[in-house]
Amino acid sequence: MLDRTFTSALADIVPSSALLTEPEDTRPYECDGLTLYREQPGAVVLPETEPQVVAILKLCQAARVPVVARGAGTGLSGGSLPVATGVVLSLAKFRRIVAIDPMARTAIVEPGVRNLAISEAAAPYGLFYAPDPSSQIACSIGGNVAENAGGVHCLKYGLTVHNVRKVRGVLITGDIVEFGADALDAPGYDLLALVCGSEGLLAVITQITVKLLPKPALAQVALAAFDDIGKAGAAVGNVIAAGIIPGGLEMMDRDATRAVEQFVHAGYPLDAAAVLLVEADGTPVEVAAEMGEIREVLTASGATEIRVSNDEAQRLLYWSGRKAAFPAVGRISPDYYCIDGTIPRAALPGVLRQIEIWSREYELPCANVFHAGDGNLHPLILFDANRPGDRDRTVEFGDRILELCIEVGGTITGEHGVGVEKIRGMCAQFAPAALERFLGIKRAFDVHGLLNPGKAVPTLARCAEFGAMHVHHGALPHPELPRF
Amino acid sequence: MNTTTDKVRPEVAALTERFRREYGERAMTSHAIREQHSHGEGLADAGMPDIVVFPKTNEEVASIVGVCNAAHIPVIAFGVGTSLEGHVAALYGGVCVDLSQMDRVLEVNEADLDCRVQAGVTREALNAELKGTGLFFPIDPGANATIGGMASTRASGTNAVRYGTMRENVLGLTVVTADGRIVHTGGRARKSSAGYDLTRLFVGSEGTLGIITEVQLSLYGLPEAISAAVCQFGDLKGAVDTVIVAMQMGIPVARIELLDDVQMDACIRYSQLEFDPKPTLFFEFHGTEAGVREQAEMIESIAAEHGGSRFQWTIAQEERSKLWKARHNAYYAALALAPGSQAFATDACVPISRLTECVLETQADIAETGLIAPIVGHVGDGNFHLVVLFDPAKPEARAKAEGLAARVSARAIRMGGTCTGEHGIGVHKLDALVAEHGDAVSLMQAVKRALDPNDILNPGKTVPRS
Repeated sequence: MLDRTFTSALADIVPSSALLTEPEDTRPYECDGLTLYREQPGAVVLPETEPQVVAILKLCQAARVPVVARGAGTGLSGGSLPVATGVVLSLAKFRRIVAIDPMARTAIVEPGVRNLAISEAAAPYGLFYAPDPSSQIACSIGGNVAENAGGVHCLKYGLTVHNVRKVRGVLITGDIVEFGADALDAPGYDLLALVCGSEGLLAVITQITVKLLPKPALAQVALAAFDDIGKAGAAVGNVIAAGIIPGGLEMMDRDATRAVEQFVHAGYPLDAAAVLLVEADGTPVEVAAEMGEIREVLTASGATEIRVSNDEAQRLLYWSGRKAAFPAVGRISPDYYCIDGTIPRAALPGVLRQIEIWSREYELPCANVFHAGDGNLHPLILFDANRPGDRDRTVEFGDRILELCIEVGGTITGEHGVGVEKIRGMCAQFAPAALERFLGIKRAFDVHGLLNPGKAVPTLARCAEFGAMHVHHGALPHPELPRF
Repeated sequence: MNTTTDKVRPEVAALTERFRREYGERAMTSHAIREQHSHGEGLADAGMPDIVVFPKTNEEVASIVGVCNAAHIPVIAFGVGTSLEGHVAALYGGVCVDLSQMDRVLEVNEADLDCRVQAGVTREALNAELKGTGLFFPIDPGANATIGGMASTRASGTNAVRYGTMRENVLGLTVVTADGRIVHTGGRARKSSAGYDLTRLFVGSEGTLGIITEVQLSLYGLPEAISAAVCQFGDLKGAVDTVIVAMQMGIPVARIELLDDVQMDACIRYSQLEFDPKPTLFFEFHGTEAGVREQAEMIESIAAEHGGSRFQWTIAQEERSKLWKARHNAYYAALALAPGSQAFATDACVPISRLTECVLETQADIAETGLIAPIVGHVGDGNFHLVVLFDPAKPEARAKAEGLAARVSARAIRMGGTCTGEHGIGVHKLDALVAEHGDAVSLMQAVKRALDPNDILNPGKTVPRS
């Protein structure tokens, strides 16, 4: 609960319709896309202008009240999970596309603008915004920046951090800061990169300048079937090793194709152990040449069948299953848990086979549908929260996958962020020296730790508490810290 | 500016003694060595270190930094000294850590298109090592800098338009922090949203937040074919518009360089070339043989629509070198315009939509000063350099040249750009950083304090001391 004086001070900043304090009004904000964790916030505030954001943050800083910024609420790691004694600051009303400059190939947008809306607004100029998370019809660009979101096209065109020029944000002190620049390179420390993926811990974003890319003249996708998931994994590495960087390089295993085929009827080969989608884009001459090479590599890697899209409608049909994979899986299983570990591509065959083995061991089906070209896995563990023990075994299975990812040189999150979900994994992935840098940076921006507390970066004490701190050569780091 | 004298503080003397004992011949204090490590390639604003140490391992670097941190003695990382903005000058004396003996390529992962190198590997040495793998490392800032130095200054180069800068191509780092610990950032996974992006924070931090000792880099497949093209224009606008349209059409040009009429005139005289002294674009295309042919033909038709003339292109290596000869010799051709003069380069970068306007205003400005200052631009990125010539015997000439450079910076900033497209801040551009990023500078200083509380890492660079 927040105290009266505080909420009435909030009420002085925004109109009464933009301040929610009753439990039935704040309930829709109790979780994001990761529904495993829920918390009712003390208040939800929906400002419309930057001065309102400044005033809210100054007030929270003065009263030492935690603030959780929230976009569209599609996050998958609990990044916008509220704090019971804090405020949720929703940017939903910041939804203007301020300007599109086709000469400079940039768009200036507010954080609440939907990802796909940017590409739609840029389409008349033959331009598009490249990062395309599967939730792109709903997720907001501010959330994309906060999580450094990826998507199918990131292999060739980069993540959010590569596609953002400038971010305007408000610090917890109420100071407005511009990160990055309109020109190619911004001098000094790369604070823009720090803010991208900072999960709302450093600043509240109020405006973003994104880069737009020319829409390729032609795009074609090859759909290749494999009778073994390891072979499909190796084929991914072979494509890249041949020096080809496709527009998209995605994999779906049998469980995933079967789930989506019922949903979209794209004609996927249902008997295949795994299917790869490989896209070539560019001028017609380039696409023809690249598609030829892709075919060769896939054939040599043991593809049992290769189909190439004949036209745009067919290309979209082939992709429709991939884009709809999550909702499709949601139809065949009461619950699913999505993992986001990312590994060096060369490790794909081994890790995929191990996931298959564990899936049988835990008696939990696991559908794999993911950004193979980036090595970004998205195993979807299917479970039933109402069946006793399912949930615990699911979490354990997921943890083992992430541990394996770290072991082979990867990371616990490729694009979904740490949030509350993977905060333990951070202790395993990063040594104390690195965690200390993270905490130092956090203090430089937010000395009282009020912006999105408890997310993304664990304190050393918390790592000690989890007992999950990285122990190297038997040397327990920070032996002075109490362990619970 | 506080350059060091030869009077050594007692705590520095003790440290020097210790390093000599520990590193033997790899710790040097001779005047010649210290002088050599007191400046890069820009104008000499030298500051001599008290000692130069040549570590070979991460652990040695960590030990040196740890000792210096305890004693509050500055530590300056040094590659091969090719930086242009006074990055390596030891403004407050201290220990220069020369990383040139950390020159091993640690691993090349051909299937993953990446490699890991020690910081002292030069880009040419890396590419020599990659010979036979079919891969290459494309970033080319001109000088044969070390990979560690390139990462520290966030180097770019003529083909950034296709391959990006060090910001896009560094996947991970090993860094020695101010307290003498070894931190690994990023890694071999192609993407990660775990924790703050320390990799990019250290890239471009010019040795002020940590000392980069190992770098994980992206590599690229050598293109099957390369073609080159040259086209001349009646005016600058036609040339820049050609580039803007080409970029909007998504033609994946690997390099686009612009030489203005003054620079072309210099090149024609210097290399006896058969060109006109007009604004000229130089292109390079990478791809399949059919692809590079198609790209060249598309550029030809765009150029024709914008008043381009004398379009030539070729795929043969010898012919390519001939076409690009003017660009390759541009710096020496510029110097030859006024023998005996000194020169420095400016580094403005503006959004490409403002480039024509910015260059035209700058040309008028140059004409008014009476100075000779030819222009070369990495036009695809909106980045252009003036080579400003002045007579070193005349102090008023240097003042005039510096005045011109300051106006170029201010103009770029006014047009939404930056005064440092690729050379970094070092010590020369601190004022401009404040002008460009007033609101963010105090935050940068806070980050500096968080990561280097005793201000021992390359003090006085990149951000003003707080």
